[in-house]
Amino acid sequence: MSTEAIAAERPKRNYNALFGLTLLALLVLLWVILSVATPSFASANNISNLLRQGSMIAILAVGQTFVIITGGIDLSVGAVVGFATVVVAMLINAGTPVFLAILITLLVGVAIGMFHGFGIVKMGLPPFIITLATLTSLRGIGLLMTNGNSISINNDAFQTFSRSSFVGVPNLFWMVILVGIPAFIFLHHSRWGRYLFSVGSNAEASRLSGVNVQRTIYMAYTLSGLCAAFVGVLLASRIGIGNPTQAEGWELQAIASSVIGGTSLFGAVGSVHGPLLGAFILATINNGANLLNVNAFWQRIITGVLIIVIVYFDGLRRRGK
Amino acid sequence: MMSTAQELHPAPTLEPGRTILELRGLEKRYPGTHALKPVDLAFKAGEIHAIVGENGAGKSTLIKLLTGVMPRTSGDVIWEGKPAALATPHEAMALGINAVHQEVVLCRHLTVAANMFLGEEDARFGILQQRAMVRQAQKIIDDLGFDLPAHVMLGDLTIGQQQLIAAARATVRGTKFLIFDEPTAYLTRKEADQLFTLIRRLKGEGVTIIYISHRMEEVFELADRVSVLRDGTLVGTRNIAETNDAELVKMMINRSIEQVYHKEHFTFGATIVEARNLSGKGFENVSMSVRAGEIVGLYGLIGAGRSEFVTTLYGRHRKSAGQILWEGKEVKVNSEHDAIRLGMALAPESRRDQGLCLNLPVGLNLNLPIYKRISSNLLISRAQEKAQADRQIADLRIKTPTRSALASSLSGGNQQKIVIGKWLAHGAKLFIFDEPTVGVDVGTKAEIYRLFGALLSKGAGIILISSYLPEVYELADTLHVFRRGKLVATHGFRTADHEEILTQALAEKQERPGGRI
Repeated sequence: MSTEAIAAERPKRNYNALFGLTLLALLVLLWVILSVATPSFASANNISNLLRQGSMIAILAVGQTFVIITGGIDLSVGAVVGFATVVVAMLINAGTPVFLAILITLLVGVAIGMFHGFGIVKMGLPPFIITLATLTSLRGIGLLMTNGNSISINNDAFQTFSRSSFVGVPNLFWMVILVGIPAFIFLHHSRWGRYLFSVGSNAEASRLSGVNVQRTIYMAYTLSGLCAAFVGVLLASRIGIGNPTQAEGWELQAIASSVIGGTSLFGAVGSVHGPLLGAFILATINNGANLLNVNAFWQRIITGVLIIVIVYFDGLRRRGK
Repeated sequence: MMSTAQELHPAPTLEPGRTILELRGLEKRYPGTHALKPVDLAFKAGEIHAIVGENGAGKSTLIKLLTGVMPRTSGDVIWEGKPAALATPHEAMALGINAVHQEVVLCRHLTVAANMFLGEEDARFGILQQRAMVRQAQKIIDDLGFDLPAHVMLGDLTIGQQQLIAAARATVRGTKFLIFDEPTAYLTRKEADQLFTLIRRLKGEGVTIIYISHRMEEVFELADRVSVLRDGTLVGTRNIAETNDAELVKMMINRSIEQVYHKEHFTFGATIVEARNLSGKGFENVSMSVRAGEIVGLYGLIGAGRSEFVTTLYGRHRKSAGQILWEGKEVKVNSEHDAIRLGMALAPESRRDQGLCLNLPVGLNLNLPIYKRISSNLLISRAQEKAQADRQIADLRIKTPTRSALASSLSGGNQQKIVIGKWLAHGAKLFIFDEPTVGVDVGTKAEIYRLFGALLSKGAGIILISSYLPEVYELADTLHVFRRGKLVATHGFRTADHEEILTQALAEKQERPGGRI
């Protein structure tokens, strides 16, 4: 499953690495084309901007991928992001130290994920339903808490973070690496990662083999909630406000990134690097379309077509094997 | 029952020996395996032609080629004198070639009637004629002598009954050439009899039948001719009257039949597990125990409560009453996890539903119970993961190109070896094998039985569930008979005869006593 597997895994490794490389090649190709087509694309400013744009969806997509590998779906992540901006904004404005405010916000994300796990495992609700319910109610709770207004965050240091860079790379992109590396180790090199795959493939067989299926499901949704809350903190830092209606539709972008990155919605197939690449491919298309003055409405259509094309070719490749 | 069916349907006037389908140098290569080496074989119209062979011998590949599920690598298929491409399942069906698969591939959430007419529904102005279809379906089912309702959901029937419906479905489609792939694997004897009646009736109507089975007695009961495949090669074809069990087994595996049921006797040690008046969903008041070195056989029909009993023992389901004692002490087994920690291992009944993660690698499946052991704190030891998987693949001789091949790409017997193999790496004191040899060929069976001996010699105990009487009869030191959720009788090794045990399991007079069950 991982790119640096062992000799005997050759057929599979080549195939996975190849898909990763195809995505990377697509990304590079897009960058080359856009650099030639528009003068401003290759500017340091725009690249930083692109990395910032892609980073948040990328982190969401990683959490989403864990859930999809178990055969589930998390529709709530966009709403969790919006809700988290409100929570962190209110805490900071109330004078809570920034570090503590962030920690509490992340715990809220964890709690939401646990609630999803509870709904699925204990109440027997389908993931689609429980996360859809959270999507709508979290937006409502956020609106109640803010009376429908945006909360301006009065802490400059908090906001500077997302706008700054470290060794020339935007801090937001560093956050992708901060999430991506542990996520990669977790999914591809730890037993819990294996359990995510096995539960997604056959929950009953996993259970009879001694895998704690309930805990695995809790874990997937908790991680997704945690990633979403983390993105909420980053978004609040970037826009400087807490607003429960932010990040509308991000759950779909996260799912799209994951699927473009080779995750199967039927479960048991996926990686960490795939969704990351998928998210930046989507960000590049949006960024490029802006620079080329393509109507914003077209961007949505292009994204849709891209999903169909990539998943179609992915399916061909799998069958061809 | 059989004879009446034949009287009702006298053999039609067919030119005897007319060839309906001929294979010329039919060959199939997959990446890495030569699944079917060039095969020349002619099927005569109206014959029942059995095909036997070990797992991976090429039987499934042959079916896939004939039903157009897979393209062939080379060779020709001649259908009624003309070459046929057989590129798609649709083309095969249009010619009149159909298959009834080992595991039912129908829609569980549709009614029996809807399944029978799936794809060729009776509609008037676009509106389904549901009642008419149910009536028609019921008539077909009644005609065939199956006592089944046409209006219920397919999923409400037992697996065996679903298999009968699948067979009935094939008969209404203008079939000229019908392939049965291990149709009796999940059937009770009564259901199997009904199926045989159907098969004979089809033969009477001039349909050519290909019958694939691991059960020799069925081959001799039904077939006119038999072909043996081994390692993708056609070893030979015999007229059924001119051959016998021993010859066929020898052709299949180069081994004699006495070597199949391999039974070693050990002195029994301490009691490992004891169930006292255990009740739960599907069974009640069952008391039994297993000692070290002992095989305890549970025989009964499918649905008699045997699987429910062991899965409850294993913590999958909650017990409603009674006690479980492990090595003399009362224990609570609230989850599979508890059971595994005590030292139980379960190789469940259905490979596909309970045993395997089919779309994941063989290696992951084998290592699933032991990931905790081969992880240090956070990370899995890649070296150990590889070594453990490769060891089981080598020890059990699992036929797979690599440990990263998907479990779904293996044949049934090799999949079963994975289900068992994952517990050998883990280790246990009590091994529960639920129908371990369903859909498994003679060679693999013998390997599995030999494995039992190895486990017992190390001081383990075994619970063996089987619906196949010779298996439990020849292997079990203690044989418990289940009927409708109750343990109705207990026998020692070979202390009762087949007929007595069958009568206890069925609680009705057996129509056909004798050894061949």
